[in-house]
Amino acid sequence: MEEIYRKLVMVFREVFDDEKIQIFSQTTSNDIEGWDSLSHMNLMIAVELAFGIEFTQREMTSFANVGELVDCIHRKMD
Amino acid sequence: MSDNHLVENIAYQCVTKHIHMGMGDQTAIRWLAASHEQQEISYLELEILSNQIANLLRSFGIGAGDCVSVFLPRTPELITSFLGILKVQAISCVLFSTFGENALLDRLLDNSARAIITKKSLLRRIQNIQYLLPKLEKILVIDLDEHIDNHVLSLPVLLNGTPDTFEYPARLSPDTPAFLQYTSGSTGKPKGVIHVHGGISAMLDSMTEVMDIQEGELYWCTADPAWITGLVYGVIAPLTLGVDQIQYGGAFHAVQWLGILQDYSVNVWYTAPTALRMLMQEDEQVLRAYDYSQLRKIFSVGEPLNAEIYHWGKRIFTQEINDTFFQSETGTIMIANRPGIPIRPGSMGKPLSYINAYILDESGQPVPAKQQGHLCFQAGWNSMFRGYLNKAEAYGEKFRNGYYFTGDLAWQDGDGYFWYVGRADDVINTAGHLVGPFEVESALLEIDEIMDVAVIGVPDPILHEKIIAFICLPNGQEWDRGLELKCRVNISNRVSTVAIPQEFHVVEKIPKNKSGKILRRVLKAWYQGKDPGDLSTMED
Repeated sequence: MEEIYRKLVMVFREVFDDEKIQIFSQTTSNDIEGWDSLSHMNLMIAVELAFGIEFTQREMTSFANVGELVDCIHRKMD
Repeated sequence: MSDNHLVENIAYQCVTKHIHMGMGDQTAIRWLAASHEQQEISYLELEILSNQIANLLRSFGIGAGDCVSVFLPRTPELITSFLGILKVQAISCVLFSTFGENALLDRLLDNSARAIITKKSLLRRIQNIQYLLPKLEKILVIDLDEHIDNHVLSLPVLLNGTPDTFEYPARLSPDTPAFLQYTSGSTGKPKGVIHVHGGISAMLDSMTEVMDIQEGELYWCTADPAWITGLVYGVIAPLTLGVDQIQYGGAFHAVQWLGILQDYSVNVWYTAPTALRMLMQEDEQVLRAYDYSQLRKIFSVGEPLNAEIYHWGKRIFTQEINDTFFQSETGTIMIANRPGIPIRPGSMGKPLSYINAYILDESGQPVPAKQQGHLCFQAGWNSMFRGYLNKAEAYGEKFRNGYYFTGDLAWQDGDGYFWYVGRADDVINTAGHLVGPFEVESALLEIDEIMDVAVIGVPDPILHEKIIAFICLPNGQEWDRGLELKCRVNISNRVSTVAIPQEFHVVEKIPKNKSGKILRRVLKAWYQGKDPGDLSTMED
């Protein structure tokens, strides 16, 4: 899981163009400036490319926080 | 100028006047943060905080005619900053917090802002372009604990000890600039639309005539104050009229919005067709799980309201949705469906009682009923914009023979109802945001792998128009998801998330005329499978 978080924070920093972003399991779109429904699609594509996985449409809109996103990445990588 | 011709400063009308009338303790705004934490802000609190901002700006030597930008998401500080700027007779320019560096730079260069008020999470975007903005003296950060240097300053530290009283003339010339709203054009940089303090009477008259909000009713305008709607009908008019209002600091979220309508018993709701269309996508069981019995009126602005939404709204909310039409340039609602006028679903409604609207041809002659033409207004209404900043020629081009040409095409039926057709230019209206294709193209051309590009808007059932990008790649360059991501992220960070194309299409060549101008009508025809028409001007 730590490895996923380490890689995921780099993805967040690239997508939201902010080297100082920190993410935690409880982080939500309200905590990160610019994370709206439009930039969320950028984030999903970036996560798919970084981890070599694919989300379903339903999954893309189902994550309530970063923790749920990480759990999903973890399941798909297994 | 004789005293009879003076008007009251917008900030005076919004807050100070209420204090003078002994209503300082009255709640001005019920603020609901994105976290759903609620805060009741009184007129006295708005007065004190805006007085402190005004004192601070004055201490920096900022005053009449200077521009101060506000680069904040929806927060109470945005409103107190706006009011404080107006109190020193400076010009406020509220900018969308979604703006990327290019969008920000274009606007700050144009308005020569001497100061900008922002927050930590947005600071980096300003700092990245700060070296290109020699006139920007102060960056005031609302959530910084201490100053970073002589330019990047903590607003809380500065305000600590700043006097909370501020003397300023209540009355000023009606032509005194009050605020700038930027709007995109089909070519070139965005234009700063200048509005003046004298425009407030139309702001109040239009809100009264259209919304007809009664004593004891709760009002909710969902628009961001970076939009003319959010500033005029979310801040200026409701504060001045003493309307009981709620403001929500979060973004669109179907369940949260429906919860606000129910839990706060909202009576009058001013929102946008895209939000309504997104709600339409929700399961009907979700929509019906909420109680809308207190909702008395719904208004919509930003894009045409198609008949389908009207009928859906009537079924779900048991209320008609009233379309309203205006632009950054008109300052206030010009045409609307409103109480007392039967709605024709899909129409814009009728002009307000003091507005003269016409459908004219290119030469400025009236066209017969039911025939498409340019939507125009007789110039001189009170809230009419007074110029495009630094672009006098562009301003002049909007007027012919005493009529303002909106740039929109419409037609009028035999009973006086207006019906929207579309833009007469290439500006894209996506989810109520006007996006200039030039801005998106510029951001894409910054990417090394992109050789040429053209951007158009095409009809979309949810967004009204969606953005389509046509891209030329150099030989050997493949289009893949990595490159798509690069394009999307660059547009987000340089322009805005709202400017991200919904589709990217790789083409061999962009159709242009012999002088190199992109033939967008040809691309639109290609995309829609229609006849592109005359191609004689197209380059070989």
